[in-house]
Amino acid sequence: MLAILRSEIFKFRKANIWALIFVGPVIAIFAGLVDSGELPVNSWVYTVLMMNLVYAVLFLPLITGVFASIVCRYEHQAGGWKQLLALPVTKGRVFLAKYLLLVSLVFLMQLLYLGAIYLVGNMQGFAEPFPLEIIWKSVLGGWIATFPLIALQLWLAIWFKSFAAPFAVNVIFTIPTILALNSEKLAPFYPWAQPYLMMNIGGKVDAMFFVPWDQLLIVVGGSFILFFLGGYFLFNRKAF
Amino acid sequence: MIRKLIQVEFLKSKRKGFWLLVFLGGFGVVALQMVNYGVRKEYLLQQSDNDWIYYLMNISNFTPLALVLGIAILTSFMTSIENETNAWKQLIALPVSKLTVYLAKFTVLAFMLLVASLLLTLFTYGYGVFLDLGAIPYGALLKYSFYPFFASLPILALQLWIATVSNNQAIPITTGVIGVLPSFSAQNLPDWLIWKWPSLMNSWNEPIYYVWLGLGVGCLLYFVGMFDFARRDVK
Repeated sequence: MLAILRSEIFKFRKANIWALIFVGPVIAIFAGLVDSGELPVNSWVYTVLMMNLVYAVLFLPLITGVFASIVCRYEHQAGGWKQLLALPVTKGRVFLAKYLLLVSLVFLMQLLYLGAIYLVGNMQGFAEPFPLEIIWKSVLGGWIATFPLIALQLWLAIWFKSFAAPFAVNVIFTIPTILALNSEKLAPFYPWAQPYLMMNIGGKVDAMFFVPWDQLLIVVGGSFILFFLGGYFLFNRKAF
Repeated sequence: MIRKLIQVEFLKSKRKGFWLLVFLGGFGVVALQMVNYGVRKEYLLQQSDNDWIYYLMNISNFTPLALVLGIAILTSFMTSIENETNAWKQLIALPVSKLTVYLAKFTVLAFMLLVASLLLTLFTYGYGVFLDLGAIPYGALLKYSFYPFFASLPILALQLWIATVSNNQAIPITTGVIGVLPSFSAQNLPDWLIWKWPSLMNSWNEPIYYVWLGLGVGCLLYFVGMFDFARRDVK
C-alpha cells in the first residue's frame, strides 16, 4: 500500500503541475487585499469572510475535480491503466492510494490558504491577534467537506478519458451552490455547498465545526459513503 | 476549404456530448430560476415593481458563470479530440492550412455558444411567460441573452489558444476555474478584466460597450492565438 502511494506521489511530482495548489491561495490573497474597504468590527473576521467568498464557493469544489483528473492522467495516456493494474496491486488499493493523495493535496492547499489569511492580515497590519483557533477550524472543516466531492471526481476521472467530461459534471453540480447558499432550507443538504458552509466562520462557534454535527455526518458523511463506494466498486468492475 | 473544415469539425464533435452541454448551458441557467421561483415565488415577486426585469436580473446572475465555465469545457473538449490521440500531426499533414484549421475550430465553438444563447432566450421567454410576469420586455430579453455571448468572445479566443497549445488539459481547465471567479464577484473589479465582461457590469453603466469591446478584443486575441498556433510544432 505504501509503495503504491509513493508511486502516486512520484507520478504527481513528475506531472509538473503541482504548482496548481498555489493558485487558490494566491487568488485568495488578492481577494483579501482588494476587498479591504473601511474595516468593520473585527477585521480578521471580515477579511476571512471576503476571502472565503472567492475561495470556497466555486474555486474549492471546482479545483478538486482538476486535481482528480491530474492524478489519473498518466494512466489514461497510452494504456497506462493496463500497465499499472498488471502489477501485483489490487484495484482497491490503487483507488485508495489515489484518493489519499488527493485528500493530502487538498489539505496542503488548505494549509497554504491558512498562510494566505495570515499574510493578508499582516500586510494590512491588523491590531488584533491572529484568531488561529477559529481559522484552523474553518480550514479543517473546509477540508473535510471536500472528501465526498473528491471521491465523486475521482470516480468520474477514472471513468472518462478526457479532462472536460468530469469537469463538466463538476460544473453542473457546483454552479447551483450559489443558489443553494441563498436558501437556509436548501444549503445544509447540498454537498457542494458544504465546503463554504464549513469554512464560514460566521456560523455556530460553540460546535466543533461551523455546521451542526448531524449535518456533517448525514450530508458530508452520507455523500462521501455514496460517492466513495460507488467509485470504488465501479472501478473494480471496470475493464480497461 | 474553410467550409469543408467546418463540416469536419462538426462531424468530429458528433455524439461526444457537445450538444448536450450546449443544451444544458442554456437550459440549466433557466432551470436554476425554475427552482428559485418554484420555492419562493411570492417573495421574489415582492422584491421589485418590474417583475420581468427582476427575473432577467436573476437569470443574468448565472449566465456569466455558465458561459465562462462552458467555454472552458467546450474548448478543452474540442482540442482534446486531437490532443488525446496525438492526431494533430495527421490533421495538419492534410493539404490544409493551420490557420484555417484554427478558424474552423473557433467558428464551430462560437456557433455552439450562439446556439446556447438562443436556447437561453427561448427558455427565459418560455418560463417568463409561464410565470405570468406581465408585459414582456423583448429588448431586455435579447440584451441579457446575447450581450454576454459577444462580451465573452475574448475568453473564447483565449481559452481556445491555451487549450490548443497545452499538452496537459489541466492548464486550460484551471484558467477556466480562475476566470469564473471575477464573473462571480464582478462589482469590485476593474473594467479591463475580460472575465468580468460577460456579467455586463461596468462603470459606464453601458452594457453595449462590452459588446464592441468583446468583438474587438476577441478578434485581437483570436489572431494572437491563431498565429501562435501556426508557429508551433504539433505532436
